[in-house]
Amino acid sequence: MFHNRAEALALALPAAVFAAVVFLAPVVILLAEGFRNADGWSVSAYSGFLSDPLNRTVFLRTLRLGAAVTVVAAVIGYAAAFAIVNLPPKGKGRMIGLVVLPLMISPVARTYAWIVILGRTGIVNQALTSVGLTDEPVRFLFTETAVFVGLLQLFLPLMILALISALENMPKDAIPAARVLGANWFQVFWKVILPLTREGLVIGGTLVFTGSLTAYITPAILGGSKVLMLETLLYQRVTVANDFVSASVIAFILIVMSFAANLLLKRLATARSKR
Amino acid sequence: MKKILIASTALLLIGAHGASAQEKTLTISVYGFAQDAFKELVYDPFEAKCGCKLVVETGNSVERLAKMEANKANPVVDMAVVSMADALSATRAGLIDKIDTSKLSNFDKLYDIAKDPNGDGMSIGYTFYATSIVYRSDKVEVTSWADLLGDKLAGHVALPNVTTNQGPPTLYMIGEALGQNTPDLKAAIAAVGEKKDDIVTFYVKSSQLVQLMQQEEIWAAPIGRFSWEGFTKMDLPIKWATPKEGQTGGMNVMVLAKGSKNQDLALQFMDFWLSTEIQTALAEKLVDSPANKEVKVSPEIAENLTYGEETVKNLKLIPSAVALDNREAWLSEWNAKVGQ
Repeated sequence: MFHNRAEALALALPAAVFAAVVFLAPVVILLAEGFRNADGWSVSAYSGFLSDPLNRTVFLRTLRLGAAVTVVAAVIGYAAAFAIVNLPPKGKGRMIGLVVLPLMISPVARTYAWIVILGRTGIVNQALTSVGLTDEPVRFLFTETAVFVGLLQLFLPLMILALISALENMPKDAIPAARVLGANWFQVFWKVILPLTREGLVIGGTLVFTGSLTAYITPAILGGSKVLMLETLLYQRVTVANDFVSASVIAFILIVMSFAANLLLKRLATARSKR
Repeated sequence: MKKILIASTALLLIGAHGASAQEKTLTISVYGFAQDAFKELVYDPFEAKCGCKLVVETGNSVERLAKMEANKANPVVDMAVVSMADALSATRAGLIDKIDTSKLSNFDKLYDIAKDPNGDGMSIGYTFYATSIVYRSDKVEVTSWADLLGDKLAGHVALPNVTTNQGPPTLYMIGEALGQNTPDLKAAIAAVGEKKDDIVTFYVKSSQLVQLMQQEEIWAAPIGRFSWEGFTKMDLPIKWATPKEGQTGGMNVMVLAKGSKNQDLALQFMDFWLSTEIQTALAEKLVDSPANKEVKVSPEIAENLTYGEETVKNLKLIPSAVALDNREAWLSEWNAKVGQ
């Protein structure tokens, strides 16, 4: 398309310069802060950060909740996406619209709604009491359960959308062919659908996992300071203690976690397909 | 090219000159709260009076102090309002100057505790608030700070996080109730840590509590008096406790930036803010409780403020030096015993 590479590079230059100046440079400066101490370059901020038991608890909680939300979103997402893809075109469009709808509502509003739903007098507790599962209202708010539910609802649409487009791109005859050859539904999913939609799963999984790691409003409102996650801890370090070094450490850990999750998912996906 | 350069330089000079001739500028740094009311009741009238321009910077006190520290050599802000403890911290960092109270015509009208809160002449209190416990009087009776950790409120109480302004005063009073009130707050923090599963949440913003109370999520929480009004509007039987150990609270103070070129103007502004007229106006709008003892308000207004000689005299405030010297230790103690 281009006469030479130089022309192509020249066209990409403005965007590259823009990204470098307003994004890369500040990120590097911010992250460098975490690798310095009074004597020069050092990883003491990291060892110090991880030696604090509270920070370790928060790190593990973030990892655990992020992973749980991703796995559950994938399970529900596959079921929902499979059902939607097999609808007639008109119904499919409507269902996709419904999946997208929550994305158009502010996460603040959605999270506040959960405070009402999960409260002592909310519908979840009303249902539990009327069915007789519990006498006393269960306390959901400010627990990991509440944060999990909030994050799942927040990011499930991304997983469903990613899986819908992956399922749509799958050869239409693959499933009937597998069935004809005698595969049961579990085998069909494991040996046919999963390998053929792994790209979608990698994209959806990365979006959901990184989203859960970096969400601020949901853990702040539904978890509060009893269920600190890395993002809420970061905010606390900056606003309460003016401690930008810890903030930089947390930011770096979050970035590493996101990349690691993406690599891991890709690895899992290719490992499966090679078999 | 040369012509353009000369023309633009000339324009710049005219511009600069025009601005300085136009008016003096006073930069103040305040809490982000109730700025509409402050603009109407304090800033606009002062601008009209002094013929100067007010530049208002807002933010929480940590951010604003960090900014003052960063601009120490060449201060941007002329006058700031901060908490009592932050004023001492600014004093220690060399960010503020002594206030010449002889230039403040309203100084003698202040309650004694507001005149020199840190005992160093560097700050003047302009408002204070009591902190006590709001509770559902149909569910429990709260007569002591120890009731917060008692069996009756287990699973129905929210406490302020140690990082909030209400956190340390609450712990201070819990320590008082336990009979072990040391500056490190160790006994109180340990007691809260032991009961942490009975605490619904450690709140960061008191605005959240109204909803939690409305939803019957909680029956009691310690709050500052400035948040009280929201609770009185609820359709629930809610009372303000007068615990036998007394009430605690906090005070906000005015400080003068060291090296400011507008100190006289800043003092005029402080004097204006402390005047009976302005303090009354702020009290009537329930913005700030008055530090000026000449302020008279109706009983309905007083109900929503921290008001009157008696109330003010009985406030048990944490001394600034105690707060400042222990802040970090409180936080790490809290993180170890309560945070996880």
